[in-house]
Amino acid sequence: MMRRPAETPRITVEEFFEAGHGSLELSWEANAENAVGREISEVALNRPGLALAGFLRYFAYRRIQVLGLAEMSYMNSLSPEERVQRYRILRNVPAVVLSRGRRMPLYVRKTTAELGIPIMRTRLVTGHFMNAATVLLQNLSSPRIRVPGTMIEINGIGVLLEGEPGIGKSEIALALIKRGHSLVADDVTSLTRDSTGAIQASAVEITREHMEIRGLGIIHVPRIFGVSSIRGDMRLDLIIRMRKQTREEGDIDRTGLDTTTRNVLGVEVPLVTVPVAAGRDLTNVVEVAALNQRLKQMGHDSARELDERLKKVLSRKENRRES
Amino acid sequence: MSPDNEAMADASTTLEREVTVENQFGIHARPAALLVKTASRFACEILLEKNGVQVNAKSIMGLLTLEGHHGAKLRILATGVDASEAIAAIVDLFERKFHEG
Repeated sequence: MMRRPAETPRITVEEFFEAGHGSLELSWEANAENAVGREISEVALNRPGLALAGFLRYFAYRRIQVLGLAEMSYMNSLSPEERVQRYRILRNVPAVVLSRGRRMPLYVRKTTAELGIPIMRTRLVTGHFMNAATVLLQNLSSPRIRVPGTMIEINGIGVLLEGEPGIGKSEIALALIKRGHSLVADDVTSLTRDSTGAIQASAVEITREHMEIRGLGIIHVPRIFGVSSIRGDMRLDLIIRMRKQTREEGDIDRTGLDTTTRNVLGVEVPLVTVPVAAGRDLTNVVEVAALNQRLKQMGHDSARELDERLKKVLSRKENRRES
Repeated sequence: MSPDNEAMADASTTLEREVTVENQFGIHARPAALLVKTASRFACEILLEKNGVQVNAKSIMGLLTLEGHHGAKLRILATGVDASEAIAAIVDLFERKFHEG
């Protein structure tokens, strides 16, 4: 499934702004042109209060600097000459964000224009911004891969359907949508590992909400089935690999006792291989596989429980015969 | 691709070719459909790659996510018995600008 090692992407100030200007309510205050290609070498935020106060050891200057109420009030308490002096310590930072929609005082504007640092402002209060921006930065910097496969959400379980083109992934997805489940991505799925270590799946932006059905062409799913038929992103819980049925089925698990997994971005994801044969209703199989996975996540493993019971009954019978 | 390469083509060898998107609107729905139709005639696995992202050439949705605009450089990778014929047919499509100029 993965053909290339996932790379941790470099993030530039421009990308941060593009990704966050909506949710973080960011706008440009100064030097937007310098944001292009300007790398955020340490993907995190810092409040430079101590550094502005003169304690420069451990100043995390590689991070985006957030100036909140405390920093601004402190700077305002200084003499004009001193302020300019103190602001110069910011010369090597990737970018500065002013919170609470605060505008830059004129003296800051002059100093930073001179230094060329991109300055944004956010309408959010500092604490809220720090939280939201940290999550955004983590998402931007987490490794991402694109895999062939159709992603659907079945009763709260995220399932990636895999199989060669033409095997019927989209048709099964369509049948599942008609049963009330939701499409995340058709045929191409973008996967990323979030900060909790879970794999998150989403569609590639340009084809989001669309799918291709042989004979029909490209359809817009929510317009036909309503908004509940799609979902923006979903945790990946289970991979179902569809394979044309052949004589040899040595690797098809008939008991469900052996759990197979696949390593996706360093996370082991449960994998089920389902043979495709004429007349087999795979929609049901996929739906039940998802529900079975949900049972497992809740701590019930049907195959193992039945096997335990069988073993108990069989050993009892053997004991009786012996005695 | 050298003739040697072609002679060695078997089920496990991957053949590669670079192509440039020459038609005005790039790989939109119609060219993508043409590519899928052409690729599906062959048994081999065919991938198209742009900026390190690979998609299956037999998948319309895959091709659309490539965002192959006019002037974009793509790589065709084909693995399988009829890989060289498949590459020739796909290169031909690109060179004919998907019949749309």
